Amino acid sequence: MKKVIGILAIALISTTISCKDNAKQEGESQETMENTMHNEAMPNESHEGHDHSSGTESTQREITQNDTKNAETTAILNAYFEIKNGLVADSKENTAKGGTALLAAISKFDMSKIPENAHEEYMEIQESAKEHSEHIVKSPIDHQREHFEALSTDITDLVALLGTDKVIYQDFCPMANNNKGALWLSEVKEIKNPYYGSKMLTCGSVKKQIN
Amino acid sequence: MKIFKIILLILMVVFVGIQFIPTKRNQSTDVPITDFTVVNTVPQNVSNILKTSCYDCHSNNTYYPWYNKLQPVAWFLESHISEGKAELNFSEWDTYSDRRKRSKLKSIISQIEDDKMPLTSYTLIHKDAVISKEQKTEIIDWITKIQAKNE
Repeated sequence: MKKVIGILAIALISTTISCKDNAKQEGESQETMENTMHNEAMPNESHEGHDHSSGTESTQREITQNDTKNAETTAILNAYFEIKNGLVADSKENTAKGGTALLAAISKFDMSKIPENAHEEYMEIQESAKEHSEHIVKSPIDHQREHFEALSTDITDLVALLGTDKVIYQDFCPMANNNKGALWLSEVKEIKNPYYGSKMLTCGSVKKQIN
Repeated sequence: MKIFKIILLILMVVFVGIQFIPTKRNQSTDVPITDFTVVNTVPQNVSNILKTSCYDCHSNNTYYPWYNKLQPVAWFLESHISEGKAELNFSEWDTYSDRRKRSKLKSIISQIEDDKMPLTSYTLIHKDAVISKEQKTEIIDWITKIQAKNE
């Protein structure tokens, strides 16, 4: 009996430690890949320390003025501002609540109220916004902020696509997103930075006013 | 002492018993045309990192060494795989919208940068999945390039 138990214990232990299994699948077609690598070599290719030349996604994205006074986007925007204000107040809980509100606003959104030709882009935006909201609901605050940054791009595009009847401001913080800079939208003119909260509440500037 | 033995015996029976409960295997033989490594021309070094450190939970094909077939490890793995695939599935990369691709590329970088991925619970067993400092630079540099192309 004791022997059996001993053997079993050893078996159990070995399942947890033995683990040098390096025989993983090797990739294919090495030459073709190296070739294309050279072809697509970029002017500022560097291997140590990455250049951040590609941080243009959020820095250059400005709202193309959309004059449509669309009230359909109001619920989504209000939920977004709830998230934003939660982050400004460094409150994970309030931010999460805003995430839940945004999910609800998205699910209640009436597609029939927006023009047919905007459907496809709207669907992409809402799919992405939904995913970010889900993370915002369940994540610690630093991760909430990461998703908020991506969400801000979505909501910015939403306003550009559909318009709003609210007065909103597009703000920019050059330090956020690892110094690549990041945008956010606000319902108040005064700068209240959601990326840093109380640490750097007034960092940033208004880039644009809508309506 | 007797009780101790009985408990051990029960545990043993349970351990053997659960081995017979079937689990879903996340395996497929072919690489779909929507796969990340098919859509993008991925350099060999990056492709190796992806396949060794990410694909087990983020693709439709998991590599199963024997200890991954053992319960309860297999269950633990199964839940991680379904969660991982819901979040990001490299096998279905090309079915994502451009917006989603951009957001995923960004998340891949930040997860690797912050050492949040691969999960420590995973690298504990899969020592070869640990991403070294050099590999980290390699993969982040390359994805940053792809990001620029996806703008």
